[in-house]
Amino acid sequence: MKRKIGVVALATASLIVLAGCATATPPADTGSKNITLWVMGGDTPDALREYLKTEYASATGGTLTIEQQDWADALSKLTTALPDPENTPDVTEIGNTWSPTFTSVGAFSDISDMYKDLGGSKLLQSFVDVGAVDGKNYALPYYFGSRYVFYRKDIWTAAGLTVPTTLAEFNSDVATLKTAGQSGFYLGGEDWRNGVSWIFANGGDLATKDGSTWKSALSSAKTQTGLEQLQALYTSASLAPVTEADSTPWVNINNNASTGAPEAATIIAPGWAHWSIGDLTPDPKDSTKTVATWNDATFGAFVLPGVDGGAAPVFAGGSNIAISAASKNQSSARELMKIIFSADYQKMLGANGLGPANLDYASSLGDDQFAKALSDSAAGSKLTPAAPGWAAVEGSGLLEEFFGKVNGGGDIKTLAAEYDKKIDALING
Amino acid sequence: MSATSTLRPPRRGIRTPHVLLIPAIVILLLGMGYPVIWQIVTSLQQYGLAQQFGKPAPFVGFDNYVTLATNPQLWAVVARSLLFCIVTAALTLAIGTLLSLLMAAVGKVPRLILQVSLLLAWSMPVVAAMTVWIWLFDRRRGAINYLLDMIPGVNMNRFDWLSTPITFFAVASIIVIWMSVPFVAFSIYAGLTQVSDEVLEAAQLDGANGWGRFWGIILPMIRPVIAIVLLLQLIWDLRVFTQITMLKDAGSKSGEYDLLGTYIYKLGTSSEDFGMASAVSILVLAITIALSWFYIRSLLKDDEA
Repeated sequence: MKRKIGVVALATASLIVLAGCATATPPADTGSKNITLWVMGGDTPDALREYLKTEYASATGGTLTIEQQDWADALSKLTTALPDPENTPDVTEIGNTWSPTFTSVGAFSDISDMYKDLGGSKLLQSFVDVGAVDGKNYALPYYFGSRYVFYRKDIWTAAGLTVPTTLAEFNSDVATLKTAGQSGFYLGGEDWRNGVSWIFANGGDLATKDGSTWKSALSSAKTQTGLEQLQALYTSASLAPVTEADSTPWVNINNNASTGAPEAATIIAPGWAHWSIGDLTPDPKDSTKTVATWNDATFGAFVLPGVDGGAAPVFAGGSNIAISAASKNQSSARELMKIIFSADYQKMLGANGLGPANLDYASSLGDDQFAKALSDSAAGSKLTPAAPGWAAVEGSGLLEEFFGKVNGGGDIKTLAAEYDKKIDALING
Repeated sequence: MSATSTLRPPRRGIRTPHVLLIPAIVILLLGMGYPVIWQIVTSLQQYGLAQQFGKPAPFVGFDNYVTLATNPQLWAVVARSLLFCIVTAALTLAIGTLLSLLMAAVGKVPRLILQVSLLLAWSMPVVAAMTVWIWLFDRRRGAINYLLDMIPGVNMNRFDWLSTPITFFAVASIIVIWMSVPFVAFSIYAGLTQVSDEVLEAAQLDGANGWGRFWGIILPMIRPVIAIVLLLQLIWDLRVFTQITMLKDAGSKSGEYDLLGTYIYKLGTSSEDFGMASAVSILVLAITIALSWFYIRSLLKDDEA
C-alpha cells in the first residue's frame, strides 16, 4: 500500500513539473545586449558574419554570437531549442519551407510593427507569405536562391549539342551524353528538391489547398506526367545511386582528381555552387585542399528550360529569418533585424550571390552570367506547399522515399496513391 | 548492560543501509523515473509541435498505441530491428569467444598485441570510427571496393553498399560487431582465466580432445559470463542509433533503412509527433524487458541452484 502511494505521489509530482514546462509564458525581456543568431549551413559567407558582429557591437555595445547549424539536423534543433527560453537562439534563420509550420505554432515573435521599416512591400512576397499568419508578420525573407543547370561546355560541344530550349530537348540531350563512366545529368534518385522541377514544369504540384485543408497531389494527372519524365530521365541519364538525395552535386562536374574526367556532363545546383565549380588547383593556404577557378571555356550555366521553352519553375530555395518568441532579449533581437535589413547588408548578400530579401537591391547580384541565370530561374520558381504540416512531411523523409522508389523504376500510379495517403496524414499538422 | 549492547548493533545495521540507499534511489528516480514517466504520459497524449510550443496536450487514451498496432510499417521496423539485433549479437558473441580463446592460447607478446588492438577499437569514438568506416565502404573511392575488385573475376567497381537494405544492414552489422567484439572478448577472456587448469588437465587425461574440452567443460563453466554478455549485446544492438543514423546520412533517407532507434527519432524530432514517438519508445522498453526477462530468470535459477 505504502509503495502504491509513493508511486502515485511521484506520478503526480512529475505531472506538476510537466505542467510547469508546458505552460511556460513568454519570459520577461531581460534586456541583455548579448544575443545569439543561428545560421543554417555555410550559406552565409564569413565576411557577412563578421559584418553583422561588428555592426551589432557598434549599434548596441553587445556581443553577437553566430552559431551555425547543419541543414540536416536543423529541424530537430529548432524543434527542441526554440520553445526553451534558456537555450533558444534570439534570432534564427529558418528554411523557407519550414516557416509555415513554425510560424503557425507560435515559435516566433510578432514583428508586424517593424515590417514596414524593414522593407515592407519591397520584400520578396512569397517568402513574406510563408512567415505570416492572419495578416501578422512573424518570419521575413532572409535570402533567396534558385537552382539552375551547370554543364561541361567541352563535353556538350564535342557531342555536337547546344544549349537546349525546351525541357524535352534537355531530357534527350543529357541521355545521349551518358556513358559507362559518366552521367549525362547527375541526379540522385531520392533528390526530390531538384526532381520536383519536372513536376512543376508540367504544371503539377506536390499538394493543393482545398478550402482550408491541404491534400497531397502526387496522383494528379499533371504531377504524374512530370514523374514519368523524371523516371525516364533518371534511368536514361543518371548514374547517381537511387538512394542519393540533395547533396553536393558540384563535385561531379569538376574533373575527378584520379581520372582527370568529370563524373557528370551536367548537374543542377543552387546558384552559389558556381564558387565550387571550375578548374581545380591546390589551395596555396592548405595543401590538402583544392580551389576551383571558373573557366568559361570548359563550364557553362543555363536555366532549366520549360516544357514550351522559357524557364522551368524550379524549387525556390532560400531562408526566412525570425525572432524566437521565447527569447529573453526581444529588443536587442530587433536591433539585429534592423542591421540585417539595412541597405548595406542587403547589398552584401547580393554581392555574394544570395538573392537579397529586399528586391530593391536585386541589382547588387551583378550582371554576370550567374546573376542572370539566378534572376531568370528565380522569376518562375515555386515554393513547396505552405501547409502547417509541411515541415513534418519533409522531416518524415516520405518525399525522399517516394522519389527514390519512382526513380528506382517503381509503378508511378501505385506509389503515388500510397504516398498521397501517407502525406495526407501529416500535411495539415 | 549486556542487553543494550546486543540490541544496538542490529538496529544500526537495519537503518544504515537504508540511509545509504537514499542517494542512489534519488538519482535513479531523477535520472530514470522522470523520463520514463514523461514518456508514458506523453504516449497517452496528442503531443505535436504545437504542444512543444506551449499548447495544452489533450489526453487521447491509447489512440497512439492503436494507430501503431495497425501500422504495418512499425511491425516491419520491429521485425527488422529484432533480426538485426539477434544476428549481430550472435556474431559478436561468436567472434568475441574465438578471440578470447585465441588470447588464452597464445603467448604473452601476441596476447598483448591482440589486447592493445582490441582496446583501441573499443576506445575509438563512435563518430570518428563511423566516418572512417563510411570512407572504407565508399562507392567510388572506398578501400573495400578497391580490394575486392582486385580479386580476379570479381567486379566490385562502384558497388554501392548502401543502396539496398540487405547490403546496408550487412555493413551496419559489420561496424557494430567491430565496435562491440572487444568488450565480449575481454569479458569472456576474464571468464576463461577462472577455469581451473586442473579440471582441463584431468579431462585431457581422460581423452577429451580440444572441442570436447571446450564444449563439455569450458563452456558450461563460463556460461554465466556468456549469458550476461549476450543479454547486454542484445539490448545494445536493439537500441543501436548513431551507426544507423550516420549510415543513413551517407545513404538513403528512406524508411526501409530504419531500425527502432532511427524510427523513433524520425517520428519525434523530425515529424514532430512526440506522442507517437513516446508510444514506440514504450514498446521498445517492453521488448527490452521481454528479452531480459528470460535471461534474468535463468540467472536467478542458477543463483538458487
